[in-house]
Amino acid sequence: MAAAKAARVGEEVWKTRIDKVNAELVTLTYGTVVAQLCNDYDSNYVEVNKQLDKMGYNIGMRLIEDYFAKSGSQRCANFKETAEAISKIGFKIFLNITPVVSNWSPDGKQFTLTFEENPLADFVELPDDGKAQDELWFSNILTGILRGALEMVQMQIEAHFTSDVLRGDETTEMRVTLLRYMDDELPPDDE
Amino acid sequence: MVVYSFYIFDRHAECIYKRKYLPPGHKAPGSGLPPSRPTSSAGSEADTGNTNVSEARPPSKALSAEDDAKLIFGTVFSLRNMVRKLGGVDDNFVSYRTAHYKLHYYETPTNLKFVMVTDTKMNNLRIVLHQIYVGLYVEYVVKNPLSPVEHPGGVGVDCETFEVGLDQFVNSSLQG
Repeated sequence: MAAAKAARVGEEVWKTRIDKVNAELVTLTYGTVVAQLCNDYDSNYVEVNKQLDKMGYNIGMRLIEDYFAKSGSQRCANFKETAEAISKIGFKIFLNITPVVSNWSPDGKQFTLTFEENPLADFVELPDDGKAQDELWFSNILTGILRGALEMVQMQIEAHFTSDVLRGDETTEMRVTLLRYMDDELPPDDE
Repeated sequence: MVVYSFYIFDRHAECIYKRKYLPPGHKAPGSGLPPSRPTSSAGSEADTGNTNVSEARPPSKALSAEDDAKLIFGTVFSLRNMVRKLGGVDDNFVSYRTAHYKLHYYETPTNLKFVMVTDTKMNNLRIVLHQIYVGLYVEYVVKNPLSPVEHPGGVGVDCETFEVGLDQFVNSSLQG
């Protein structure tokens, strides 16, 4: 039921409150950023992944405010609800996709997001230099965005891609792990 | 209806924006209360109600603006925690009122706290504070690409678009 509600909210917000931009503009802009990073770091793809994640982190910390402003959602009661909200509201309103949530770990702290479509990676073919296929996670900015956004609602998570159709895998999948809930910060003691 | 002051606290419990309204000397019509109503000293004011002196607040009694902000944070933080203990994690307090002022509170899921102190006749401002968050804070502070992500010392929140927007909003929908 949490899933159905999230889907309804996501659909509603997407239809009524989101300014749309041309999808190709997004794809090409993102592609340019990744290509520039690959250039700057001399095809050190491990470093490129890291930079993308860092950029995403900074985006996520801001995007979460827009998410709440637009969706009017409340804080999620548990991590399952969070996962549904990420997929059906977050991804829906910002990218108009709803990755499938599946593969929960028994302790309810890990799940997999399966991207049936990925607007960031349209038109993309990884360079044929023998290592991009093994090292570059092209859409790695998404892992950072999730990390930054969830940190702002006091969840420390870890996220990484486990497969990518760009690398020749069957699916594009991201694994998300809840590390811990963070406590409220107290003001510094000035007594 | 009079707005006395407005504060924003971030998730690190720091006051990232504070604003006092009412220039000194201005007197709220029909109110016997001294206009410069710092919350910290309101409790010791019970006897000035009918003397009608406007600026005669001994400066030694008033706390500094920083201390005011700290005091307010401590108050809303404790109240919110108490409310959650009694009413469950989803519960939150909306406002409280004393003989001299009313404090309105809104907290976002990202732990930003919006506080507005007004006169006691003001209606519930929860929605207004939400509108300030959605229409002004998110638009002009969060989405400003050149402002920092976090705002230690209020950097980035003190931008002109936000302040002008806030002034217009407060003047048009609350004051008067």
